[in-house]
Amino acid sequence: MSSVGTAEGLRTRERTARSISPSRVLDCLALGSWAAVFWFLLITDRTSLYLSTRTAWVVPTGAALLTVGFLGRLLSLRSNEPKPITALSAWGTGLIVLPVITVLALPPASLGSYAASRRSTFSSGGIVASTEEIASGNLSLTDVAGGLRSRDGAAALTERAGEEVEFIGFVTKDPGAPADEFILTRFLVSCCVADALSVNVRVVGAPPGEFKADEWVRVSGKFYPLGRDVIVDSTDIVRVERPKHPYLSS
Amino acid sequence: MQAPAADTRLENGYRYAGVMALALVSFGAVLYVFDPANVAGVQNFFLVFGSLLIEAIPFILLGALVSAAIEVFVPKTVFEKLALLPKPLQLPAAGLAGAAFPVCECGSVPVARRLIVKGLMPSAAVTFMLAAPVLNPIVIASTAVAYRGRDILWPMVLGRAGLGFLVAMAVGYVVSDETKEQLLRNRSRTAGHEHEPSSQSSGSGAWTKATSFFGHLSGDFVFMARFLVIGAMVAAALQTFVPQSVIGGVAGMPVLNILAMMGLAFLLSLCSESDAFVAASFVQFGVGAQLAFLVFGPMVDTKLGILYGATFRQGFFRTVVIVVTTCTLVGCLWIEVLFG
Repeated sequence: MSSVGTAEGLRTRERTARSISPSRVLDCLALGSWAAVFWFLLITDRTSLYLSTRTAWVVPTGAALLTVGFLGRLLSLRSNEPKPITALSAWGTGLIVLPVITVLALPPASLGSYAASRRSTFSSGGIVASTEEIASGNLSLTDVAGGLRSRDGAAALTERAGEEVEFIGFVTKDPGAPADEFILTRFLVSCCVADALSVNVRVVGAPPGEFKADEWVRVSGKFYPLGRDVIVDSTDIVRVERPKHPYLSS
Repeated sequence: MQAPAADTRLENGYRYAGVMALALVSFGAVLYVFDPANVAGVQNFFLVFGSLLIEAIPFILLGALVSAAIEVFVPKTVFEKLALLPKPLQLPAAGLAGAAFPVCECGSVPVARRLIVKGLMPSAAVTFMLAAPVLNPIVIASTAVAYRGRDILWPMVLGRAGLGFLVAMAVGYVVSDETKEQLLRNRSRTAGHEHEPSSQSSGSGAWTKATSFFGHLSGDFVFMARFLVIGAMVAAALQTFVPQSVIGGVAGMPVLNILAMMGLAFLLSLCSESDAFVAASFVQFGVGAQLAFLVFGPMVDTKLGILYGATFRQGFFRTVVIVVTTCTLVGCLWIEVLFG
């Protein structure tokens, strides 16, 4: 029995009349490429190159939401009135995909000495470390920077002058400094690297000319806070791999 | 005779898509071969550019999701009832509603647009859009954490919420005479993607609603994301090539220090959930100037300028800049007098 004229027949004809809309394919490309980049960050463990540990949840959330959006659009590709791709929609989608290409094509990297030179000298004020945290336990770069933001913090740091410390960071060169000195820098990130603040200590007693800018090193030595400057009189400096989490988090 | 014309349009479309794909692949190959790590500034630019987008894209999608849900699942009568509220109550109510919407500024733009389309008073939607990134609980909490242990903790937290609320209402008041047609930009000129039929006019089946929901979701996402990319590109370039120390010289100058911090907030385009940590680092600047950074930035910055330009009529961004700058300046001068 023919289905023509029946409700099922109408639905069948409607389904066959619907065809894939090229402009919806572009929507899929935009959503799918961004979903792919979030999955890529998750799988390759590169989230920490862009975001702080506090906001790392954005990546799995983004991956899940974008995948749902992509699948939803994929299932609704067919339309009664398919629209062709226009020059505007093609280039607009290209613009959305462009950052995806940059994230996928670039080798893993983190902010370095160039960024340290562009960011303000008011570096340590926003770093949160309480006086109690500074006064006890192993001294970290977060403690050092936090100690410079208040009189109480500075007093707590002074109390610990002469103690042995061990800091990991990258080398930043100060053009006017003696050959056996460099700045050990680490960035503190609250959300993403756009809000990075630098934490700096001056390392003295380094082998002249041995360490280049942007090399990651572990510095051991005695710690001396002098006003707004912090000096580490080094006893040992060794090159290390960039840490898995290159940025400190507040 | 129409079929060949349609075929030509279709063929042209595939040609555009092919050229776009070729351009992207070539760009990726160039990046891969000439590693930007060799040029520190370029590497810095790509890192900041990527991080701004990785953080903002999920929020844009969340905004598009809420916007699509409003379009498909919330009947127009709800907004008609809201429009019956006494006018003096509408702006404060819209501003306070922002406190219940915990996303940053990128997500609130598509939601505000959808609210206007659905019939909410345009000035109320604008007030909501500007208040949400300042008043939401995550932003208030992050401001409190950034200023923990400082004498200016409460002036900063309460000042930010209070002044942000007042400034958002001031902008809403200034645009209160404008209708939906006057305020919103005609999207067809800038969208370039498929127009989705209204869900309420196209049937009520579950499949129809789902198709409509994903259509609006992807439409809003694609529309906002391209402008966000342009904004992030500009912000990353400014962050990379303009040193923050350029504003250091005006730290002690009244009025100028506040304007300088507003300018910096505009250039940096930080997320409102993290900007307090950066503001707190400018210890040479007084309480008023730091507060200006926190109130101005979530309402006016580089990427928002481009998003506003794409969403609202010509001149809207100029209006926002003038009102927000004036109100923030006056408010922060008062805060400086009271707590500086």
